[in-house]
Amino acid sequence: MSLAARTLEAHGIPTVIMGCAKDIVEHCGVPRFLWSDFPLGNSAGRPFDVPSQAQTLELALRLLESAPAARTTVQSGQRWSADASWKRDYNDLSKLTPEAIAQRRKEFDVVKAIAQAKRKGP
Amino acid sequence: MTTSAPETKPAAAAEDDVPIAYMQRTRDYYLALGYGNPYRWAHFVDVPFTPLRAPLDRARVALITTAAPFQPDAGDQGPGAPYNARAKFYKVYSDSTDATPDLRISHVGYDRKHTTAEDINTYFPLQRMREAVAAGRIGALTPRFHGAPTNRSFRETEGDLDELLRRCQEDRAAAAVLVPS
Repeated sequence: MSLAARTLEAHGIPTVIMGCAKDIVEHCGVPRFLWSDFPLGNSAGRPFDVPSQAQTLELALRLLESAPAARTTVQSGQRWSADASWKRDYNDLSKLTPEAIAQRRKEFDVVKAIAQAKRKGP
Repeated sequence: MTTSAPETKPAAAAEDDVPIAYMQRTRDYYLALGYGNPYRWAHFVDVPFTPLRAPLDRARVALITTAAPFQPDAGDQGPGAPYNARAKFYKVYSDSTDATPDLRISHVGYDRKHTTAEDINTYFPLQRMREAVAAGRIGALTPRFHGAPTNRSFRETEGDLDELLRRCQEDRAAAAVLVPS
């Protein structure tokens, strides 16, 4: 998505990305980025929470209008939960036994094979 | 008349309440699973920038998503589905912004523990953008929104980017909102 923003921007179409993975988007380098410090999958606001979603979009629009230069990141003031313990869970290896890791590997091999076959097409 | 805010002590954040290091965690995770050759994320020196030319309330805005159209024959796509590579798509697609599409995100690595993906509006803000048009905040939406594949091969990505640009130009988009899921 970061590459898409860069391409559009380079051809005269201003862009704003709404996203949750701050390090990945900023590592690429994009013109404007509205960052929500939420679990991946909630780039546009909290589930079943219209005010949260509307506020997230409004911030993105303001950023689109007012960023002074490229690589402008704005952090949404919304918090996912009062404590930040949810941040420990994504791909957390510390809770996985060697057996669980072997199982995940097996599952991912299957997923990879499906993706490769699908990419090649019929 | 002057007003002053009541004096409150700012709440301190926990030491580990920082942006998640997704790149590091993903590298560590796949190395632990036994895969070598870790994924390299795109990384550039320069970043292009184009200021918005017209006021937003007169601009035509595009919406770009990585969510995938629901495919009845592609297995469990959620909400709450495990990672489903069968639901991936490999070509740019477009659909009408007047439609109410059924888009899912089982084909990407979102947070399976804390995200249920039950509400499309958390990853595809078309409804909120329509409301922004109705409220006069945005001039109009482009007639189509566009879906960008989440390819991992740079060679394939380049073709997708050209196609995405072509479609946005065809729709005369004055700006674009991009929402990765």
